[in-house]
Amino acid sequence: MKKRFWAAITAAAMTAVSVAGCGGGSSTAGGAGNTPAAEVPTEPFGDTIKYDPSVAINDGKDITVELWEWGSDELFQQVIDGYTAIHPNVTFKLVNNPWEDYWTKLPLALDGANGPALFNVHNSYHENLINYMAPLDIPTADLETDFTGVEAHVIDDKVYYIDYGMMTGSVYYNKEMWQAAGLTDADIPKTWDEMIEVAKKLTIKEGDQIVQAGLNFNDDFHQNYLLGLNYQLGENLFLEDGKTPNVTSDSMKKVMQMLVDMYQVEGIGSQDFGEKGSDSFGQGQSAMVIQWGHYYNTLNTTWSDIDFGVFEIPTFDGNPYAYNRYNGESTFGINKNAPADQQAVAQDFVKYFLANDDAQIAFCLAMSVFPAKKSLADNEQVLENPSLQVLAEHIDRYIWPGPMPSTMETSLKKAGEDIFFNGVDIDTALNEAQQNIIKDMASSSFESVENLYKYAE
Amino acid sequence: MFKKSHPLQSRSEILLRNIVVLIMVVFFTVFLIVPIGIAFAGSFHEWNPLSGTYRFLGIENYLNVFTSQLFGKSMVNTLIFSVVVIVFRVGLGLGIAYAIYSALIKHKSFYRAIYYMPVVTPMVAVAFVWKFMYNPQIGIINQVLGTDINWLKNPQTALLAVMVMTIWKDFGYAVVMYMAGLYSLPGDVMEAAQVDGAKSWQKFLYITLPLLKPMSLFVIITSIISYIQAYVQILIMTEGGPGTATYLASYIIYDEAFVKYNFGYASALSFVLFVITAVFTWLSFRVSGSEG
Repeated sequence: MKKRFWAAITAAAMTAVSVAGCGGGSSTAGGAGNTPAAEVPTEPFGDTIKYDPSVAINDGKDITVELWEWGSDELFQQVIDGYTAIHPNVTFKLVNNPWEDYWTKLPLALDGANGPALFNVHNSYHENLINYMAPLDIPTADLETDFTGVEAHVIDDKVYYIDYGMMTGSVYYNKEMWQAAGLTDADIPKTWDEMIEVAKKLTIKEGDQIVQAGLNFNDDFHQNYLLGLNYQLGENLFLEDGKTPNVTSDSMKKVMQMLVDMYQVEGIGSQDFGEKGSDSFGQGQSAMVIQWGHYYNTLNTTWSDIDFGVFEIPTFDGNPYAYNRYNGESTFGINKNAPADQQAVAQDFVKYFLANDDAQIAFCLAMSVFPAKKSLADNEQVLENPSLQVLAEHIDRYIWPGPMPSTMETSLKKAGEDIFFNGVDIDTALNEAQQNIIKDMASSSFESVENLYKYAE
Repeated sequence: MFKKSHPLQSRSEILLRNIVVLIMVVFFTVFLIVPIGIAFAGSFHEWNPLSGTYRFLGIENYLNVFTSQLFGKSMVNTLIFSVVVIVFRVGLGLGIAYAIYSALIKHKSFYRAIYYMPVVTPMVAVAFVWKFMYNPQIGIINQVLGTDINWLKNPQTALLAVMVMTIWKDFGYAVVMYMAGLYSLPGDVMEAAQVDGAKSWQKFLYITLPLLKPMSLFVIITSIISYIQAYVQILIMTEGGPGTATYLASYIIYDEAFVKYNFGYASALSFVLFVITAVFTWLSFRVSGSEG
């Protein structure tokens, strides 16, 4: 059943992309996924940002544009196919680099004369890319009208890229284990106390040894708990200046203490059971994990035998300041050093991508991210994906702190390992993390955008 | 000791020599001297080549190196790691080479190939396999030993576990080198010792071992250079953890340069490590009395 469901979603996404550009965001049912010829739109489409396919690009003269990305060739190719169906004079050269190489090759290529005009962006590498990017040739007000979170991307009144989707953490649970423990949908926890009680029922031990963990957060506690649950308690990750880390806050200590107690007092898991929570869940050793949206696709492709469900992350009191941190999946970057004619095509392509609902949905489903495009928040295809459905009700209650330097994650991971494995107390470990982050961020231009949260106090 | 080389005879020989030398000079200049010079200059700067940041800091990066607790801790780890692995590499290498060399062992080439196989296997692959073997739930090591140890997450065992893997992978190199040394020993000396009634252990201790001294020195020096630079096994097996328990000096350089893009500080660390490596190498020559 689950496989059929996913196959339907995938087919829908593929179909949607294959008819990209059909106008007005309406996907035509006639375009089967394997139909090579997409219907070419003739009328302008889009919400506030509109794309007019009747306007020739590069005066109709032939031009080739390079687009760099990591993975997902088919997804990109389908958007390209939709665009080139409108503008057959444009040829795209799609270049796929492995993730590990991408972030060293790309900035060096952008620094030269022959870098790609278009490139895929991940905001964690913002500082290495922003100096090479051209601002979008779309009014900021239009972007803000159509998309969530645009204001966080405004730099000196210019926007260089925005988020097309928002990714965050949810709880994934093993349905077979859930059933075997006598749990039903009515037991889905809303608070952390309820979560611990459920996890206890899901934990199986032989003597002192765990053979099935109720909850496993090994190796990713820093990403999925420490850098996010502080918001539930009303504290940001950075102080008011936007630059000083706030990892020694009472909230952070409380979250850390909760994690320690979950393993060492409640016994619902162990730092020595299941090297990585995500793998352990996939291998059928752990009953619950908190993972970000990408995990939905990982489970469906890598561990397709696991029958899983998803529910929203619990809170401390049911009425949080915010539920969690999110991170955006970014739109394409445009190389400011590319020739003017290529930049013009790149600007036009980004506009096409933003105006095209089908392309937006396809990208969001492929990456399991909640659409940033406001008009798609209640889209049926999106809400059929359980990992996105659980976010829908409170999607405006998630905070993006900005493109945080990697030291936030690595320093907190070290702190957590010091606490769990090296016997360091919470205060000392978090103090050390705070000092390391301050040192590492001394020359960073990062400034938190937590103050732009809709419900900021 | 060596005969003076025969002088070049023809203009074509001289031309060929000049071309070969020029190619080597250009190669080393472009791929060694210039990068080292750039890194040295960069060590005095705040430097991120990916964002274009390059700001003069003076000796601040070097001061940070010498006041860094993490660097001090990683140097202690590097020292422990290097000494233990080198001792076992040399000890096992010599012992097994001597065993294979003895008349009692047949199929010597087979054993030599078997022991050398891990050496030619990429470290990345070996590290991943051993990481799997150390897994506390499904790893074979706990199953064979009947233990329940989280080898790579326990601060008491993590570095030890990485050292065991490194010894297993690398001691075959010493086996092959010592076998080459053993086969080149002068037969007449051994025969003389035999005639004089020397026992086997006396021949090993007073003849074989001293004659193998140049080979031992070579293995030790190359091992020092290699292990001070070790980081791949740490990157794959522990990522320096738990916490910073298994940080080695070269892993910090990797971490600073390719995770934090702090190339200036990483370059300063590299030059400090270069000096330390040179000192240890010089000391090895001094201790062996072969500095000349």
